[in-house]
Amino acid sequence: MTTVTGEPSTSQSVEMRVPPTAGHLSLLRTVVGGCAGREDFTLDQVDDLRMAVDEAAVQLLRHVAGDAIELTVTSDEDALEIRVGAETKASQPVIDRESFSWTILQALADELDVDALEGRTTVVMRKKRLPDLQAEDPT
Amino acid sequence: MTQEEPYTREDTKKLFRRLQETGDPEIRAALVQLHLPLVEYLARRFKDRGEPLDDLIQVGSVGLLKAIDRFDLDRGVEFSTYATPTIVGELKRYFRDKGWAVRVPRRLQELSLRMNKIVSQRTQELGRSPTVSELAQAAEVTEEEVLEALESGQAYSTTSLDAPSNDDEDAPQRVERMGENDAAIENLEYFASLAPLIEQLPERERQILYLRFFKGMTQSKIAEEVGISQMHVSRLLSRILSFLREGMEPDESEA
Repeated sequence: MTTVTGEPSTSQSVEMRVPPTAGHLSLLRTVVGGCAGREDFTLDQVDDLRMAVDEAAVQLLRHVAGDAIELTVTSDEDALEIRVGAETKASQPVIDRESFSWTILQALADELDVDALEGRTTVVMRKKRLPDLQAEDPT
Repeated sequence: MTQEEPYTREDTKKLFRRLQETGDPEIRAALVQLHLPLVEYLARRFKDRGEPLDDLIQVGSVGLLKAIDRFDLDRGVEFSTYATPTIVGELKRYFRDKGWAVRVPRRLQELSLRMNKIVSQRTQELGRSPTVSELAQAAEVTEEEVLEALESGQAYSTTSLDAPSNDDEDAPQRVERMGENDAAIENLEYFASLAPLIEQLPERERQILYLRFFKGMTQSKIAEEVGISQMHVSRLLSRILSFLREGMEPDESEA
């Protein structure tokens, strides 16, 4: 057995803050794509996550009140968790459960949650690792 | 359109009046048709920036739609006067949003095209979507390069919505699955604000939208189903989403 130093034992995360403008969304996508790709997620999953972070961030942009959109990508043994959050105006929910956005995000993530607390909204999405990549597993 | 004679400003006004009264999507579509030459004219002004004209026209059309939806006859302005800044704004925004990603080095473009084939091959062999490390092995490049190539494939999405991308030339175009498309429209029309936008999508895009978000099919599976590459499905999905998003944008009360 060889152990590579720096190999994640439990969980590790990547964090990033970008100004809340449409022009910075590509940075979020890139980081999420890079993390998921390096974590050996399949291409389908990588693309799903890139699209999901984009959708979540676009919705946040519409209600943003602060000066940043924050991204945290955490990997653990069975999933990659993406959190996209921002300070938001209190008026209405950023992503209504009846909305098209919600439908999209639900299709893209295995688990989806939106935390709205004291002027902050965070979209939390989890994508599960395939159980065994070596197995010839159709679909 | 059956009308042969050049349209007049009066026609436009009449159509807007009817649109305001009935909200008929066909009238909206007619107004779009009538003003496509304006979009094309404006899009041409941006054509030396490295983006295909077709894409620019598509972007401009989004601006046109917004203008149609926001136009108020009673303000006494000509529609074309009103629409021009909205369309130009949309085009400018497109370039701004693309940021530095517009120019993709040739090396990456080539790798991206090669990757497309490798993705299909590996998907077939594995019976599932490949991982980045598997792609790196197959292409004999580093994982970094794979990621870069995939990223540029996305950023450099120059294929227009309904045009088959040049890398799938020989792919079968089998999208005639009427049953599914009916279901797609029914499902999607649940989101009322989307209906008129979805009607503007070509058949294939509608089907892809439905299969991914309502049937929960993976991109690889859709690629197989529709007969195009996974990377093309991925590009189309991103574009469809941004098209819908733009079109749905709440009125932002700029007026």
